[in-house]
Amino acid sequence: MPIDCEDQELLEGFLTETTELLEKLDDDLVALEKSSDDADLLNRIFRSIHTVKGASSFLGFDLLVRVTHKTEDVLNRLRKGELLLTPEIMDVVLEATDLVKTLVADIKAGDIVDRDIDTTVSKLIPLLAEQPAASKTVTAAAEEAPAQSAAPQSTAASDEPAVAPKEEAAAAAPPAMPPAPPRPAPEPPKKPAPPKPADKGGDDLSDNTTVRVDVKRLDDLMNQVGELVLERNRMIQLNQDLQGGTADMVLFGEEFGKLAKRMNFVTSELQMQVLKMRMIPVEKVFKKFPRIVRSLARDLGKEVDLKIFGEETELDRSVVDEIGDPLIHLIRNAMDHGLETPDDRIAAGKPGTGTLVLAAVHEGNSIIISIKDDGRGIDTDRVGRKAIEKGLITEDQLAAMSQREMFDLIFLPGFSTKDKASDLSGRGVGMDVVKTNIKKLNGLIEIKSEKGLGSEFILRLPLTLAIIQSLLVEVEGEIYSIPLASVLETLRVDQREFHVIGGQEVLKLRDMVLPLIRLEQVFRVQRHYEQDNFCYVVVIGAADKRVGLVVTRLVGQQEVAIKSLGNYLANVPGIAGSTILGDGRVTLIVDPVGMIDGGEGAAAGR
Amino acid sequence: MSNALVPLKAGEARAGDQGELIQLVSFSLDHEEYGVDVLKVREIIRMPSITRVPNTPQYVEGVINLRGKVIPIINMRRRFGLNELEYDKQTRIMVMDIEGELMGFIVDSVSEVIRISSSEIQPSPAVVTSGIDQECIAGVINQAERLLVLLDLQKMFSQDERRLFSTM
Repeated sequence: MPIDCEDQELLEGFLTETTELLEKLDDDLVALEKSSDDADLLNRIFRSIHTVKGASSFLGFDLLVRVTHKTEDVLNRLRKGELLLTPEIMDVVLEATDLVKTLVADIKAGDIVDRDIDTTVSKLIPLLAEQPAASKTVTAAAEEAPAQSAAPQSTAASDEPAVAPKEEAAAAAPPAMPPAPPRPAPEPPKKPAPPKPADKGGDDLSDNTTVRVDVKRLDDLMNQVGELVLERNRMIQLNQDLQGGTADMVLFGEEFGKLAKRMNFVTSELQMQVLKMRMIPVEKVFKKFPRIVRSLARDLGKEVDLKIFGEETELDRSVVDEIGDPLIHLIRNAMDHGLETPDDRIAAGKPGTGTLVLAAVHEGNSIIISIKDDGRGIDTDRVGRKAIEKGLITEDQLAAMSQREMFDLIFLPGFSTKDKASDLSGRGVGMDVVKTNIKKLNGLIEIKSEKGLGSEFILRLPLTLAIIQSLLVEVEGEIYSIPLASVLETLRVDQREFHVIGGQEVLKLRDMVLPLIRLEQVFRVQRHYEQDNFCYVVVIGAADKRVGLVVTRLVGQQEVAIKSLGNYLANVPGIAGSTILGDGRVTLIVDPVGMIDGGEGAAAGR
Repeated sequence: MSNALVPLKAGEARAGDQGELIQLVSFSLDHEEYGVDVLKVREIIRMPSITRVPNTPQYVEGVINLRGKVIPIINMRRRFGLNELEYDKQTRIMVMDIEGELMGFIVDSVSEVIRISSSEIQPSPAVVTSGIDQECIAGVINQAERLLVLLDLQKMFSQDERRLFSTM
């Protein structure tokens, strides 16, 4: 059923507000479970639901009104101390919140689907039983029997005079609708149908089409644009003078130099300003997790204490949008595979409650997100055995592997230590997807783990995807750009110093043997110059792997805006994207991670 | 066959013609004349400096900067297995919209926009110009002194080719 709403603006306002309220609600609800006597918190939750209810009833979204109304009633009882908060009640309230999200997502999608809300509503009803809610209809009283006293409790109504008439009607409706079976029965046989779409709906709610920007930042931006306009006028003026032949060349040169300097200054300021506007705290992603961890912990029968640090760390919207899913996978993984059950933990001499630490920090031009558990750690023997069983590697390959390489096995597509796939994990896709997604963001993932003590997954992500510092190099006449973030050092060397080990060229660099990749070979560049003994080696690193790229000449360092190569050329091996240089020519950006992995793959004979 | 072309409303009715009027951009490749739907052509430009992209099929000439957007360039002669020709003053890049993405195609020269009636399009004979993939030929137009091969470049990139780049 398409939405028939006369006032589109009103609807949009409703959606924005509701989405925001609901996002906060999850967080508050989980926090509430930990400190159930926090009256302020409870009041806030109550108000959020109440606001959603009021607005939706005003706009005539009946399904939404019915769910929020019941939820509100339950919260009201909690607030008044008539009901004591138990995990079971919280489960039901959370389920209802999920349903609300799904319904809101439907409205947002512009199409109201007739969803089954009765299952959830009927779970809420028992919680209201002792003091029935707004049961002005006979049906409810008849079916719901026991404690339905005649005293039609008017708390709900008196608490919300603002939404009076329509509210009454809406309130009267719900008890009539659910078939209201005998009370104890409804829960077990009903399949938990709503949670599935709800999960999805919840994710969809993260609205990325609109941005809220601090007015001050916007003013600053306007000022800078003003300056830019002035500089442009100056440039036009100079050009006119030059064209008209009235310019004194000496003066022109001087003026033009000044202009270039000021332009440079203004544009870099502008760039910073816009980048800042695109930055949002990672909290946006993190705040989903307490809820997820809670429900996972309940499903798995584990006790988990989630600690979050650095949620105020800012990073680019584009990155924030992309890291949600990988992080959820990693958290699931830590809870399912990492943390043990309370009994196992106590047997191992650890406290029964496991700890999961989620932390974000800035480090130079990247952000580091770590997910650390104090569970059983990665059992490399088991991982190795499983990989062989699944035919992902051979015995010989395993024997030659370092511990780090064994950890990396879990990222192989098709890898799983579980013999049977569960709802949560075990299909052998999760970690592969995590790795791919992180790689897509030009990020790195690193594993630290100690058997019996826990593991840590460290993600290193660029702050932004739009503009990077890069090192321009020349390879036999062609210019390539290497992201500076992965460049460790550059050296000028005599090619006679290269050694060959098993067909692989290497360079002795201090106490390390550095494998070399000749870009001219990888990129099949035609020879342009005569053979020269001297060349440059750009040492790039990802995690603790190092590779030297052999290039002809270093051109310089430049800040470049990344341009996509389009779908058709999206996956050219070794190339991460392209950029346009000052002279208008396109230059390709080398994919350092691809280079390192590729080089390694070749060395391993894969 | 001709459904790849968006028929235009006939602005002027020409005597003797049936079917709807369509407009084609005609270009030449190795002395043959070809036509593509004018609505798919975004612009026609001279040869700019092209940046080679390594590890791509040899008919991918590289990428260019089209007013700040990076677009891939396909060498049509190479794609169709024709002899290579030095670029000259006539060489053009036709920038086309292929499934929502811009792509450039190098052709020997672009001649004109012609109007034909859709009824003039005949199915292509079993064997046409050697080397050119049958599947992207949408038909032929046989007029008095000219033979025009109608191309549907959307079909030029077979499933396999798309996959080549999307799974690596």
